[in-house]
Amino acid sequence: MADLFIPILIAFVLMYALIKGVDAYTAFVNGAKGALPLMASLMPFIIAMFVAVELFRNSGISAYLCNFLSPVFRFVGIPPEICELTLIRPFSSNAAYVLLRDIFARFGVDSYIGKCASVIMGSSDTIFYVSSIYFASTHVKKTLLTIPIALLCNVACAIIACFCCRFI
Amino acid sequence: MIISSLAMMAIFTPSTVVGTMMEASKMGVTMCIEFIGIYAVWMGIMQVMDDCKLSHKLSKILSKPVQYFFGKTDAETEKNICLNIASNIIGIGSAATPYGIKAMQGLDKGDKRATRAMIMLVVINSTGIQLLPTTVIGMRAMAGSISPSCILWPTVVSTFIPTILGVLLVAAIYRRRKDG
Repeated sequence: MADLFIPILIAFVLMYALIKGVDAYTAFVNGAKGALPLMASLMPFIIAMFVAVELFRNSGISAYLCNFLSPVFRFVGIPPEICELTLIRPFSSNAAYVLLRDIFARFGVDSYIGKCASVIMGSSDTIFYVSSIYFASTHVKKTLLTIPIALLCNVACAIIACFCCRFI
Repeated sequence: MIISSLAMMAIFTPSTVVGTMMEASKMGVTMCIEFIGIYAVWMGIMQVMDDCKLSHKLSKILSKPVQYFFGKTDAETEKNICLNIASNIIGIGSAATPYGIKAMQGLDKGDKRATRAMIMLVVINSTGIQLLPTTVIGMRAMAGSISPSCILWPTVVSTFIPTILGVLLVAAIYRRRKDG
């Protein structure tokens, strides 16, 4: 069912373009053109993040941290293997993508762990990054309860994600 | 984080430091190239949707609930909020950010304290109301998954419930503040 959704959506968009008389091919090419400059501007950050995450993990610090936290994670139903991903996700998307890729390689993309990791990745966001750039553009100095509420939602998200993955 | 990791490695396994860094940067480049592919496809489709005003329609549908939750805002800010949420839903986070920042500036009244509407916007954005996790699905496909988009409905569920939770929390805590 879910596998059909995206093809249908794309077909719908193309049909709609046809009806509206929009040249879908030109539009697609124009949009796709933007991917290379976007990636080129993001690449230094992604590489920096990759290096940082690999160092963090190879040094063993993250393993200690996760060992320490894994009972808590197991208690709420999150597999300890994706503990690292859950911890890093609020700070950096790129770093989390690094971990996701690694999880796919280690446990398999269609394993329970791989699925949980995908769902967590897809359904949460980089809280600290988002709130810092959003508030940076305004005069606001006191963000009140923004971060605690967002973090709470992210924890809820991870728990629900792992629960839902039991059924697919 | 990096310095402490480096210090740790310098003490225990100094010979692996440079190797780790080079290996990591190589992986980084590989991932960037994969991402170019994923982004190209989805940005292309976004552009088609833009050109035939489909994304505009989507943000129109959203404008009623936005008015309800964010209270009175001017038309321009409201449009930005809608476009921000709409791009989030389609899963292009990088397109959502510029609208989000514009909306934040529109909500800004020079006050030092965050208003209810601002907190609402940030919370919604940080729970990432993604209905189409395009990047993750693309990564799964490239990793050779037999069913890359089987994560679709769990993602929708686990993004919706926390978002509702967040919105309700914000609404409950800051209800009495007039500046929302």
